Amino acid sequence: MNYLNSILTVPTLDPDDARRRRVLNILLLGTLVASIFGLIAVVIDNITDPKVISSETQVLLGGIIVFTVGVFGIYQVNRRLSGRWAALLFLLLLTVIFIFTDSTEQLVNGRSLFLFTIPIVIASMLLSPGASFIFAALGSVIIIVLALSIRIFPNAPAIIGFFLVALASWLSARTLEQTLAELRNINANLDQVVTERTQALAESLERERVEAGRNQAILNSIADGVIVFDRKWDATMANPAVRGMLEIPLELILNRNFRELIEHPKLAPRSRGLLSAMVEHDTQPIGFRIEWAGKTLSVSAAQVYNNRSENIGTVTVFRDFTREAEVEKLKSTFVAIVSHELRTPLNAILGYAEMFKEAIYGPMNDKQVNMADRIMKNTQRLLGLINDLLDQAQMEAGKLTIKMAPLRPAELLENLHSVMDKTASDKGLRLTSEIDDNLPESLNGDVSRLQQILVNLVNNAVKFTYKGSVHVKLIFPYQDRWGIEVSDTGRGIPASEIPYIFDTFRQVEGTATRVHGGFGLGLSIVKQLVNLMNGEIKVQSEVDAGTTFIITLPLVASEATQKDWTIS
Amino acid sequence: MSTLALIIEDDEDLANIFAEALRGIGFEVEHVADGKMAQERLKNGTPPFLVLLDMHLPHVSGGEILTNIIKKEKHLAKTMVIITTADARMGETYGDMVDFVMVKPISFVQLRDLTSRLKPTEE
Repeated sequence: MNYLNSILTVPTLDPDDARRRRVLNILLLGTLVASIFGLIAVVIDNITDPKVISSETQVLLGGIIVFTVGVFGIYQVNRRLSGRWAALLFLLLLTVIFIFTDSTEQLVNGRSLFLFTIPIVIASMLLSPGASFIFAALGSVIIIVLALSIRIFPNAPAIIGFFLVALASWLSARTLEQTLAELRNINANLDQVVTERTQALAESLERERVEAGRNQAILNSIADGVIVFDRKWDATMANPAVRGMLEIPLELILNRNFRELIEHPKLAPRSRGLLSAMVEHDTQPIGFRIEWAGKTLSVSAAQVYNNRSENIGTVTVFRDFTREAEVEKLKSTFVAIVSHELRTPLNAILGYAEMFKEAIYGPMNDKQVNMADRIMKNTQRLLGLINDLLDQAQMEAGKLTIKMAPLRPAELLENLHSVMDKTASDKGLRLTSEIDDNLPESLNGDVSRLQQILVNLVNNAVKFTYKGSVHVKLIFPYQDRWGIEVSDTGRGIPASEIPYIFDTFRQVEGTATRVHGGFGLGLSIVKQLVNLMNGEIKVQSEVDAGTTFIITLPLVASEATQKDWTIS
Repeated sequence: MSTLALIIEDDEDLANIFAEALRGIGFEVEHVADGKMAQERLKNGTPPFLVLLDMHLPHVSGGEILTNIIKKEKHLAKTMVIITTADARMGETYGDMVDFVMVKPISFVQLRDLTSRLKPTEE
């Protein structure tokens, strides 16, 4: 079959030309085979009676040989040179051969008349649709000439018949060619589309490959350990940093369920609960710390959503927090020790100053008493600052606790007055207070922390008020909330500074610290304490008119069981 | 009734100030600066009327001494105990076990006023 194909193949790119030349090759092959069989038949016929070789037979043999050679020659022309010339030669050869195949009478008026229709039909296929008319004309000329040569009137219906055959051939060949051309067009368009699509696909695959490569490269170069889990908490991706951090091979992580990792002996048992909670309850983005193989790791997890807002898994990031955790612990220990060590000698200074003031060792004059008083005040200020620093450090370390116990709101105000009345009156200010009539007489709260909030706010109010009063009110705005309102007639806070007043180590206008003293920790501590109590703090202020701080806290009835909690 | 006050405090200055406050209102004062010595003293000597106990002591913690006073030393059943601490939380923890909690810084006047109220009336 391949051999046959190679025989038929023609060197051309034009599809019409190729088709015609292949058809010509098939015809040539067919006629060649037919003429060889003819030759064999003639030879066998003459072997039976070799002595009588008629002149007719000789002509036949000669004709067949000439035809065979001609066909072969045309085949070569068709294969190597031109399909058109080969087709023309083939058709002419056929026509010439036909002239000699029968008697002139039979050719012009009898059984062989139809032979001349063959080149007409073939011409429409091999040369061009219109060529059929040329061969119809040629056939007509031949039978006219032949008819005249034997002096008969040319066969007019035959000539008309030739042209009708030519017309039919022309029509069918033309239709065929048009259809083929359309088909080729469609094919070409289809090819174009396929090419474009293929290219687009290749480009997007390439893009995806580059993107994936880039993502992997980014993931690989992150110092934090990253594990990506699917919805079932099977690990689908992990970067090399995870291996170093967890000190286990990636094979123990990848394609395995997170629950297996939680069971790993390197995980400290007390950290197990945190990870289990994350897996079992699918908690929202969270951050916490675990202990793994003697290290402290911070873990943050974020759920991943696709563009249809479906949860498709979780990304967890592990960061080595060992050093930071040590530093934090060191810092809070340092602050605790320093504050304790500072407080003891300050207590001694305070005590000795008091002894002077009380004239324990003999009478003192007014100036000496006044000096002792000043020593005491400054010492107390220093103690207050140390307390603030210690509170701040404890809150940063998450160690400050809120202890709920029954308390009487009235007692809060009594204590406040006992501590702050003198501070206010020393500055010529009035400290007044009231309690909402509907506020329960007893409720739950952390007395010492509430006291601290009140003292800090009133201290702050006194500090920034030069005349008028500071008013404290215990409020009862809603059924389930109570609160504290501290208002002053001070200089107020500019609106632009309000967002920053709760920041650590900050006082309005930056330089105020030197004028008014303090670290700027007071309000920051108040806000953090209020947050720890699940409350809210708001501030309303007008420059040169005054400031009001409003704190609202959840109202916990005092009958409720006493409980402690630590917020870290 | 004895008017003996035992001050258990490792800081010499504070002990001195406390002693002055207590003496000023008529207490006899004894001072121990170390936890171990305090244990010994409480076991053997005259039962004091009042113990002023610092919770942060060398060798034996104030908590341990306090537990001893309450649970072991039956002869100290009538002794009043005031603990002194810089840690308000610790004060809350032991608050129910003692007569008074004083959170440092402790004022001379404050201590004097409190103890003068506690002092046995002279008969």
